[in-house]
Amino acid sequence: MTVEEGELLGLIGPNGSGKTTLLNIVSGYYKADAGTIAYQGRAILGHAPHKLARIGIGRSFQITKIFKRLTVIENMLVAGLSDGKAARAEAQDRAEGLLRDLKLDRLRDERASSLSGGQGKLLEFARIMMLSPKIVLLDEPFGGVHPELKRFMHDRIRKWNAAGTTIILISHDMGSIFDLCERVVTLSYGDIICDGTPEETRNSPAVLDAYLGDHHGSA
Amino acid sequence: MSMVAILEQALNGFIVSAFYALAALGLAIIFGVLRVVNFAHGELYMLGGYAYFLAVSALGMPPIFGILFATVALAAMGALVEWLLIRPVYDGRADRPEEYSIMITFALSILLLNLANSLFGPWPRRPEPLFRGGVELGELIVSGDRLAAAGVAVVLIALLLCGLRYTWAGRAVRAVSQNREAAAIFGVSVTQVGMLAFALGAALAGTAGALMGPVFNVVPAMGIIPVIKAYVIVVLGGLGSIPGAIIGALILGQVESFGTILIPDPSRALAYKDAYGLVLLVAILLLRPQGLLGTKERRA
Amino acid sequence: MSLTMLRVTGSGLLLAGFLILPFVLGDYWIYTVTIGFYYAILAASWALLVGYVGRISFAQTAMAGLGGYVSALSVQYIGLPPVFGLLLGVMIAAAIGFAIGWLTLQLHGAYLGLTTIAFAEILRITATAEYNLTEGSRGLQVVPLLENGTRVEYYFLFLMITLACLALMTWLLQSRVGLFFQSIREDEDGAASLGVNVTLWKIMAFAISSAFAGLAGGLQAHFVQLITPSMMSLQEMGLVLAMAVVGGFHNVIFAALGGVGLQVLLEALRELGEWRLVVFGLLTLLILRAAPNGIFGIIFDALAKRLLTKGRDE
Repeated sequence: MTVEEGELLGLIGPNGSGKTTLLNIVSGYYKADAGTIAYQGRAILGHAPHKLARIGIGRSFQITKIFKRLTVIENMLVAGLSDGKAARAEAQDRAEGLLRDLKLDRLRDERASSLSGGQGKLLEFARIMMLSPKIVLLDEPFGGVHPELKRFMHDRIRKWNAAGTTIILISHDMGSIFDLCERVVTLSYGDIICDGTPEETRNSPAVLDAYLGDHHGSA
Repeated sequence: MSMVAILEQALNGFIVSAFYALAALGLAIIFGVLRVVNFAHGELYMLGGYAYFLAVSALGMPPIFGILFATVALAAMGALVEWLLIRPVYDGRADRPEEYSIMITFALSILLLNLANSLFGPWPRRPEPLFRGGVELGELIVSGDRLAAAGVAVVLIALLLCGLRYTWAGRAVRAVSQNREAAAIFGVSVTQVGMLAFALGAALAGTAGALMGPVFNVVPAMGIIPVIKAYVIVVLGGLGSIPGAIIGALILGQVESFGTILIPDPSRALAYKDAYGLVLLVAILLLRPQGLLGTKERRA
Repeated sequence: MSLTMLRVTGSGLLLAGFLILPFVLGDYWIYTVTIGFYYAILAASWALLVGYVGRISFAQTAMAGLGGYVSALSVQYIGLPPVFGLLLGVMIAAAIGFAIGWLTLQLHGAYLGLTTIAFAEILRITATAEYNLTEGSRGLQVVPLLENGTRVEYYFLFLMITLACLALMTWLLQSRVGLFFQSIREDEDGAASLGVNVTLWKIMAFAISSAFAGLAGGLQAHFVQLITPSMMSLQEMGLVLAMAVVGGFHNVIFAALGGVGLQVLLEALRELGEWRLVVFGLLTLLILRAAPNGIFGIIFDALAKRLLTKGRDE
């Protein structure tokens, strides 16, 4: 499976099909038994998560992992300063810009524990963008999110993608996937069973089988 | 080394194992149900020793009732501790429940240690044992108080295992250990079982203390070394695993018994005796944190 | 800015108080507060590890004892001047702390607590058992740090070192490293996903915290001129935990104040005998249960709140 630079790719599949596992392997959290992963022509399989984050692979988590006892701005600065090189003032400016962009600027000095679920998701978005990532892996970003906020998130995802960030989106929310992505990859039991446009995916019998069970094809 | 000497070491190891198992089982039950490592377990053991001392030496009860008294007193104490201090761990009142549980039980252990120091003084007490004199087993001579205490411990462990298997309360304890949410759905009150488990664990520690007190001495610091052994055992067997705790106790008893004869200088061997278990503990935690029989769950 | 003002004023008043103290106190109390500085560094170093990084350790007093023994033994057997002995003690404590941090990377919570207890007890048992070298539980005579030093000289030396340690810790925690530490405490995976080298900083936290503990232990040994294995005992660890918790273990300054405060109380309540420690124990349980930010945390929060509401009224 190859992801082109600048793509906005949807990754779908029934529960247990290996989407999150794949994401965890790409971002360095799980070890793989076999295979390779190349990023900008470099093999990156087995690299530590923090190294991957520093070379531009950002990721979110199904259950947000914001730092609850740190303030919103401190959450941002962890990402901004983690490479040990960035200057504090510069990171602070960038963080404030991103917070404004995600309408979190008024919560700048609030503890992250006081954020709502949706605000927590936005903070996680903002923190990832602090890394100036080349590729972003989003794991179920719309779970439990208010429809209005979802539209806002769609809008920002499109904007970042238009600015050149490659995005891989994992979601059970087919509406969002078909709406946002120009290419959709479907996984089932770890295998790619479909790779095409939203239209092709929607009409693929293999995808239908994977979601509904293959009993109607086997008899 | 002669056959008799080997047998003697093995038997000594087995006797010690029985006490260790009693203390360790309490720790395992508390961890199984509440996911709390009770750092105050050694001091509950020590209080059992003092309860026995008070009952037998001060009130003049016969030794067997002294043991019973210690069991009941510590069960009540355990229930109280659970209600006052442990409950915030799982009812959502503690911000960081795990950190809270570690620090609160550690602080409790220091409190109880100093309390015993203040109430009873640092002097060792030696209450009347269950049984005096030596027992001859073929060529082996074993001191009667140890053998009797070990016998009682084995009987109690057997009773406990039956209780866990065949009584409703025992099944509730096992159910909550295995799956807290499912147990709650099936109508088991997790709060009540939590209290029961802590009371039971404390009672087991207290009984072990009451059995060991007269064999060694009753002093405020008597719980420190045995509890570390109990940690070794439950970690060896897998935290929360009951058969694991028994196997762990058997292994540790033998390791210590034979370990002492490995260092030729006797006074140094004695000084290092308690370090064997610790080295074992570190080795297991680093190499196989889930223990020999435990399931893989390192973030206790 | 009122919060910064509060911090500056508070620190200024405390500093002034500690500078005046030896001129109003008798010899005995000067000695007591000097020992309090040992506990202040120790409690602060523990708070640094537990409060900021979320890594629990019960080996803090063992590390202090290690620093003390290394310094005392290197002065006695190699003939190092005490200052170099102290430095060697700090380096060895840091190295052992580094090793423990590295070995326990995969352990969390109670497992980490148990492992550190085991390390601490192994160190204490070794110090007791190797009596040819350490004089065992009888204790080892230690060369004084200052030749013919007076109580007041020791007081100011310890005060300066404590301030330097606290300044160093505060600087570290205000820097990006402090953010990394706290992000690890909050969520290790989350921190790694943002580029924080979790492994490195978890190990470094143990090493840094142990280095401070080793320094405190070395100072204490050369001040009291005696070191015994009981310095490394779990009871001592309990006392340091009580100090940090009562003061407030989410802030190194509060924890340090808890260290001095409880040490002074310990002497002031002498007539209560062992009951003092019972009272401390109860206080610790109460604070853990009801006010996890500690006494100084409560005072600071209350003052800050008053300042803020006042500022709003005006």
